[in-house]
Formats: sequence, C-alpha cells, structure tokens
Amino acid sequence: MTRAAPARERPRGAIPLSVAAAGAVSLLVITALALSAPNHPGFRAWQTVYVALTVQALPFLLFGTVVSGAVNAFVPARVFSRVLPRRPALAVPVAGAAGVVLPGCECASVPVAGSLIRRGVTPAAAFAFLLSAPAVNPVVLVSTAVAFPGQPHMVAARFVASLATAATMGWLWLKWGRAEWLKMPARHTGHRTGHSRWEEFRVGFQHDFLHAGGFLVVGAMAAATFNVLVPRSVLDVFAGSPWLSVLFLAALAIVLAVCSEADAFVAASLTGFSSTARLTFMVVGPMVDVKLIALQAGTFGRGFAVRFSAATTVVAVACACLTGWWLL
Amino acid sequence: MRRQIQAALLLLTGSALLHISLLSQVYLRYVKEGLRPFLIASAALLLVLGLVSAVRDGFPFPSRRGDDESVDDEGVDDGHGHGHRDGPRVAWVLFLPVLALLLHAPPALGSYTAARETGNAVARVPEFGPLPDAGPVPLSLSGFIARVQQDRDRGLAGRTVLMTGFVTPAGPPAKDGTGTGAGTWYLSRLVVSCCAADSRSLRVRVHGKPAPPADTWVTVTGTWHPGGGALGTAAAAVAIDARTVRRVPQPVSPYQDTAPLPR
Repeated sequence: MTRAAPARERPRGAIPLSVAAAGAVSLLVITALALSAPNHPGFRAWQTVYVALTVQALPFLLFGTVVSGAVNAFVPARVFSRVLPRRPALAVPVAGAAGVVLPGCECASVPVAGSLIRRGVTPAAAFAFLLSAPAVNPVVLVSTAVAFPGQPHMVAARFVASLATAATMGWLWLKWGRAEWLKMPARHTGHRTGHSRWEEFRVGFQHDFLHAGGFLVVGAMAAATFNVLVPRSVLDVFAGSPWLSVLFLAALAIVLAVCSEADAFVAASLTGFSSTARLTFMVVGPMVDVKLIALQAGTFGRGFAVRFSAATTVVAVACACLTGWWLL
Repeated sequence: MRRQIQAALLLLTGSALLHISLLSQVYLRYVKEGLRPFLIASAALLLVLGLVSAVRDGFPFPSRRGDDESVDDEGVDDGHGHGHRDGPRVAWVLFLPVLALLLHAPPALGSYTAARETGNAVARVPEFGPLPDAGPVPLSLSGFIARVQQDRDRGLAGRTVLMTGFVTPAGPPAKDGTGTGAGTWYLSRLVVSCCAADSRSLRVRVHGKPAPPADTWVTVTGTWHPGGGALGTAAAAVAIDARTVRRVPQPVSPYQDTAPLPR
C-alpha cells in the first residue's frame, strides 16, 4: 500500500498526489484529535458524522455503479447517438433535462456520467447530466416542496436555476473544455467480443465501486471535519449582508456536503438568510461539495475536478442570483 | 489492492451494512428510517458480489483461473495510479468506517453537537388543536416550541407538559442573555432529515432543577417559564420551570422528535 515512489516518474501502482494529500490531512486530523483527547466529544461527533455520510451515500453509490456498469456492458453505443441530438450544442440541454429521471443524490450521478462518456456521449452532454440529475429529480423537488410549505416558487426557482447552471456548464465545456483535462480509466470500452458480458459487468462494477467508495470516505472525512469545526454561530455574522450571505451560503454548501435530498431542510432552517441566499445553497450543494470533488477526482482526474468545480461554483452562484432576482 | 482483499472488503462492507440495518437498529444513529430497505438491499448486493468474487478470484489465496482471466489487464496504466489487476488503492480507506461499524459503532450525536448549533428552527404551524383536558400534556420539543412562539390562543398557559430529550449543559448565563443564573441547562433533541450530517437542534431551557450529566436522556414535567415576550409571540422564551426530572433510556430512534407516552 505504501510503496516508495521516485519523484520524477510515478510507477504504476503509486498513490496519486491527491489521494496522498487527502489521506495525509485526514491522518493529521485524526492523530491530532486522537492524541490531544482520545475521548474528546468533538472527535466522537466527527466519527459519527463521517460514518453517517458514508452509510447514507453507499446505497446511492452502489445504485449509480450498477447503472454505470450495466450501461457499459449491456447498452450498445449506437443507442446514445440515436437518442441524443447530433449537434452537441443541442445535446447539452436535452441531457440536462434527462437528469429528471435519475432519482438519487449526487453520489449516484458521478459514475453514471463517467460511463456515458466512455460510451461515446459527448462529454459536455454528460456533464450537463452529471450536474442536473441530483438537483432536478422528483425526489429532490418533492423534498424541497415539503421543506418550504406554501412556497412553490422556491421549487420552481431551484428547478430553473439548476437546469440553467447545468446547461451553461455544458456549453462552456463545448467552447473551452480540453480533452486532456479528462483522465478517464482506459478500460471499460464497452463489451468486447469473446468476453462474458456478466463477467465484464462484475469486474467493472467491483472496481468502480471500490474506487469510488474509497474516494467517498475521503470526501466524507473532509466534510465531517468542516461539519464539526465550523460552529453554526458564525452563520449570524453573515446573515445581515445580502451579497456576503449569498457567497457564505455557497461556501457552506461546499464544505458541509449535505445530500441533495436533505439540503432543502437545512436551507429552510437557515431562517436569518434571504431567499436568494438559501436558493444559492440549494443550487450549489448538489453540484459542488468536498465529497463530490473527491469522487470526481477519482472518476475524471484531479486536474478536471478542480477546474470543473471552480467553474461550476461561479456559474451556479450567478444562475441562482439571477433566478432569485427574477422569481423570488 | 489484491483481488482476494477486494473480496474480503466487499464481504466486510456487506456484513457491516447488514449488521446495522437488519440485525440491529444501529443505523438510526446515522441516517433516517426510510433508508433501511436500501441499506439492506445494498448489503445483500455486496455480499453476493463478495461471494462471487471470492469464488472466482480465489479466497483467501488467489486461484489460478483468476490470474489467467486478469492477464490482459496487466500493463494497463489508466492514468489514475493503479493497474486493474491490483485494484484501486484508495479503497483501503473503506476499511475505516466498515471496521468502525463492525467493532465499535460510533454513538449518536449528542450534546456536543446540540450546543454548537443555533437551535429551534420550527416550521410554521397554521393552526393548533386543543390540548387534552386532564393531566400533564405529552409534547414533542418541536410541538412545545411551536406552541410557545406561535399559539395566539395561549393554550399552554398554566398547563403542565411532559417532554423527553437529552441534557445539554448551558453555557455561561451572561453569554446567552436569557439565562437567569447558573444551574440551568437545555432539554434538547437533534432532528435529522437525511443523515446525521444535516442535524438541526431543538433546545428548551430548563429552570428550577439541577443539571443531570450531559447526554443523559430525561423526561421533564413542568410549566412554561415566563420570560422574554408574551406567550404565543416569537419573542417568548423557550423555557420551562421543571417540577420533576426523571432519567429514561435512550430511545431507539434518537433523531425522531416524538412526544413521550402519557403517564
């Protein structure tokens, strides 16, 4: 597991820098907490929160991996070229709207988007799907309606702002995206003749699940660290200023990594903040958070995850503000 | 990660999920109740997958066939730091939560978290039904808070209520502003919409009885403690003058804010 690697050339099997760094930070936090006070209540709360995030996300991650494995092994590539419009610029909004059908939280959509790209779907369309699926699916919209009773415009605003962000990011990728940022596994190019489909499905599924599961735990640990270290009383400091509160809730959505099915309830509880700030929390949360960045780094490569998440944050905040000004 | 260890990890992860969701109620410390069928299904899937892996790839020692089948994966570096024969190295960290769940499941969140959150976001209640006529009224904490701050008919005036929660020690009284002196504490609950990471706290300040140890679960009877604004307005103090404090076992579902059984 910890084989030493020469600095210049990374041999096959070495730990990538992102994982090593995240692991080192987690280890530092763990040892610091463990040494200072083995039974410190903060450490126990941290343990509970990261285990809870992992347990909560595992079923969705499994579901996403099953779908992605099935797409790889059983769905021929021509299906996608027939369903999606031929022009990429049109395929982007169609794929974004298709996110409505994947009922799950964000952990499920990362592996599915990865398998779509491997099957020849234009990356821009797959990214639009990746961003919109966890934000606009029926489960999330219903939970938003429950969390904001008597405010249907909040549900509408979330739907519109999320779709707009997803489509904008897809078009941005068409215009400026570079293929070399994507570092996808070379394997998994669909069914190969002479191999058993079920065996391909099993091996691919097992690999994808263990890989994404590892990154999920790293992301959950990071999110739990913020969750325990950031006291909620800092919320009151920012609630007063309209612009700072929007940016602050966007940052909070990124570090707390609340599941997209629950973030509406958290947003509803942030009573001191304006509707637009709370909308920003719900638009940014399913698209960018520390858990997702870890998952994306694992699936698409570190360079991609950093650039994509940064751009998505900016676009999502802009779309949420515009929608908030228009609808709320 | 070698194939045999992958199989072991899948089996362990499946067993951990099965252990917390089907064989016990431990999962309620981490996630909402509705996730249970999905946890059980995930556990079953992982166990089946782990068994198939163990049979095909050899367990605990690699089988010859398993080696043969993965031969064409060798020498492929896909750019994220591992060949596929060995499997992803990052998967090792999955052992941490899995072993934690199997060996020593972390406890439910308690007073440490409740004390750090700004509490008492309670949904707007359109209309309050009449309270039962006789005896102490069993209420959930959210029910009590909603009636204190929203019930224009002041249904709580003069009534004795019965509520269950855990003990969160209050900070220094001056900091809070509403405190009337040392020795007060909060009767608190954490409520969760999806998993423990999104917990929100409900707190009712308790006057008139010494604080039990933090995180003890208690049932308190008492009457509304006047303070702040008038009863039924948003400024009313969320507080109670306790008459009795009785220790109770921790409920199986710690994040569900329910009213205690009437006595």
